[in-house]
Amino acid sequence: MRSIRKTSALRPTHALGVAAAIAVAALAVGWIVTHFPHAPVGPRYIGAGNETARPGGTFIFAAGSNIHTLDPHFAYDTLSTAACRLLYDGLLDYDYDGEMIPSLAEALPEISEGGRVFRFRLRDGIKFHNGREITADDIAWSMHRLLSERIGSPGYPFFKSIEGAPAYHAGDTDRIEGIVVLDERSIEFRLDEADQTFLNALAMPFAYPLAREHVEQLETAEGVDAVGRHPIGAGPFAFSRWERGVQVEFERFEEYWAPAARPDKMVFLENISADVASARFRNGDLDIIYRPSKVNRLFLRESKAWAPYLAEAPSASVFALGLNCELPPFDNVHVRRAVAFALDRSKLERLDPGQVIAATQVLPPMLAPHDPELPSGQVFDLDRAKEEMRLAGFPDGLSEPVIVWVRGEGEVRVAQLFQQDLKAIGIEIELKLVTFATYLRETGRPRVAQAAFTGWHQDFPDPSNFMDILFHSRSIHPENSENRSFYRNPKLDRILDEARPETDRETRLALYAEANSILADDAPWAFLYYPVDMFAWQPYVKGFRPHPVWLNEYRHVWLDLPKQRVSQAIYEEAAR
Amino acid sequence: MTRFILQRALWGILVVMSVVTLVFFLIFVAGDPAVTILGPQARAEQIADFKAKKGLDRPVSEQFLSYLGVVPCVRKDSPQFEQDDGTRGFCGILQGDLGESYSHHESVANVIGHRLPRTLLLAAMAVLFELIIGLTAGIVAALRRNRWTDTSIMFATFVGISLPTYVTGPIALLVFSFLLGWFPFGGYGIDPLDHVYHALLPSLILAVAGAATYARVMRGELIETLRHDHVRTAKAKGMPASQVVIRHAIRNALLPVATLIGLSLPFLVGGAIITEKIFAWPGLGLLTIESIESLDAPVIMAVVLMFGVAVQIGNLLADIAVAALDPRIRLDD
Repeated sequence: MRSIRKTSALRPTHALGVAAAIAVAALAVGWIVTHFPHAPVGPRYIGAGNETARPGGTFIFAAGSNIHTLDPHFAYDTLSTAACRLLYDGLLDYDYDGEMIPSLAEALPEISEGGRVFRFRLRDGIKFHNGREITADDIAWSMHRLLSERIGSPGYPFFKSIEGAPAYHAGDTDRIEGIVVLDERSIEFRLDEADQTFLNALAMPFAYPLAREHVEQLETAEGVDAVGRHPIGAGPFAFSRWERGVQVEFERFEEYWAPAARPDKMVFLENISADVASARFRNGDLDIIYRPSKVNRLFLRESKAWAPYLAEAPSASVFALGLNCELPPFDNVHVRRAVAFALDRSKLERLDPGQVIAATQVLPPMLAPHDPELPSGQVFDLDRAKEEMRLAGFPDGLSEPVIVWVRGEGEVRVAQLFQQDLKAIGIEIELKLVTFATYLRETGRPRVAQAAFTGWHQDFPDPSNFMDILFHSRSIHPENSENRSFYRNPKLDRILDEARPETDRETRLALYAEANSILADDAPWAFLYYPVDMFAWQPYVKGFRPHPVWLNEYRHVWLDLPKQRVSQAIYEEAAR
Repeated sequence: MTRFILQRALWGILVVMSVVTLVFFLIFVAGDPAVTILGPQARAEQIADFKAKKGLDRPVSEQFLSYLGVVPCVRKDSPQFEQDDGTRGFCGILQGDLGESYSHHESVANVIGHRLPRTLLLAAMAVLFELIIGLTAGIVAALRRNRWTDTSIMFATFVGISLPTYVTGPIALLVFSFLLGWFPFGGYGIDPLDHVYHALLPSLILAVAGAATYARVMRGELIETLRHDHVRTAKAKGMPASQVVIRHAIRNALLPVATLIGLSLPFLVGGAIITEKIFAWPGLGLLTIESIESLDAPVIMAVVLMFGVAVQIGNLLADIAVAALDPRIRLDD
């Protein structure tokens, strides 16, 4: 047998060459890593140092999805609302304490007939962006458009208590009796029955007035939807241009009724994901960021350089585990209470530091009558949870697992956190992950979902907006129930029916406090957390603070220009 | 050729219609569009109003036939629902009416009209990069066969094919946009030149896998072609080597590449879904994601219709291109 000569053996000279190549490559990688640009640790730009507000500049902000419309009669999502807040004004608004204030109206309304009639007087000389003065007829005409069957606005249910609104909405009459124009600047709304939340409804973007001649001309030429693309309002900024899905631009309206130093231009970027927006913000390309991505949120919270330019505020929302009161085992109030006491919500606060506050009751912290010391508040107490299981007749736990409906990976993660807690009182849970669409359809039907992750964000800052909709037996329907825990309590219904029209603020708050306590005690929802929103802005952005009602409220910002670029070294030195 | 095209077109229509039917009913299985569009805070009344306005309270079969345009319109918000003479007209795809988007409050044709050119720009630039980079790399690798150049190119193509867009996209954004600042950080820009500038990085990322595939195919085909008799004859006739490669070898080697390009066109648009999401490119891909998330049925249907038609046209064009490049192929056979 012939021996085979090895031809591929590495000769010493080759080995040296390979070693040299590896060494050069390693050096090159090391050099690149050392000299590669670093991410900025602090703001790239600072302001000029002006103490008083100045007009001018362009303010740029971004959001993760699309603005759907600029027609306030259809603006029912966060971004469309934010854009409409720049373009339009309504009769009423909220200040930074969440208190109702007059806006286009010169004062809060005169209320008569036991809270059934509301009379407004308009400020003098308010103009639409087309230069025409607003009259009471514009308010009345806009309300008729909003409530017409032809338009089909989602705003209708908030205003159906106006006399004659349901008949008009059904197409049976051609005007709403309860909207009465008294003179050029006065208007009256008459309701079927007293309802204090009507004023909250009037402060929603749905009730912002439109210029009749402009709308009619557009609707005739291009259809109803054209108003959402070519808006004219009476707000602080006028529409400039909109590249759909990319950005919408507004310019300062010089004849605005409340003159203030504002930027010349507002640019609202669409479809910028949280990651991209966070990076752009840190690069100095965005003036403000709302809800940065998780990594950036943690970075900003830890950063000393960014500390003066951050704000965290609880959102007007509550998240919970909804328990179906019609289905076993949650038809037993003791099992519901056991769940509410078994959940150790501090785990969530540890998992997402600074992003959540443990929830004890349905009303979020900024909404009266939230009570941090609520005696019936839901807190982690394993002994009480076990005692409630014993009272329920299940001292050894449930024999069958409970099926919990979840809508996404985020909720799965939260549910897994609580799996062990519930196991400790003998409740096994199985997670049923469904699409958002399936979740909405199925959890709105009676006797389908035993338990489901759920939540609510306020439409307007009033306790009725949480309690009436989520827990009144009137909100139970064969399909699309708003009361998704199918909780019925005649006592609660009575309190809520009494509170809604009550004109005396103290009496009203006392009634809602009682309802709040009942809900925490009866536990149709095991409350989990209130989310916390984070905002960060550039040092040259002034006049911003989180608004308790409006999520992206930038009407009062001004820019301290010219901005100056600063070296990142100052932050690195400060850190050392 | 005409007969072949007609046959293929008829077959294509049948396939597209089947897909449209399937998706229409799948949307209703997935959930209730009215409930999803209005969100978790919607009142039962709002949902009922919305359904009445969009005809979603009608039986699904009637909605489908109305969507096709073979029974009268069920959408109250359509001008066809009550025509000037009081009769009910038709408002389906047969009449060229794609309906009105549930979430955008405007006609689907308008919504798509805004988004499609953006995706086409991205796809066109991606094809350009795929061809320039892929074919050049493939030709160089074939001509430098089994040398380090070839090995390096083939290793790079292997990496290119293996790396998905959702890995390369964010890394490219981090390195080239955030840290180096060479490219804009996602988005679309505000004027034509700016659009192209903004499209550079996403189209390069979109082109990575395609370019790698073309390089490998081109290399294989060219090596094979260079062995053929006609190439040897051309060399023997004294033709310069570069002319032999360009005039005789590359043209033949291009055949399978042409087929691949045709077949990949619809996937470029499809692949753009992920790329558009990463780079915040507001095209058809991003629209598709949004529409599916919100069950905006008219937009989903229109996008499916367009993708279906694009796949059919892509396949047809590939067949025609192959026939044009190879005289031996007769489409009527």
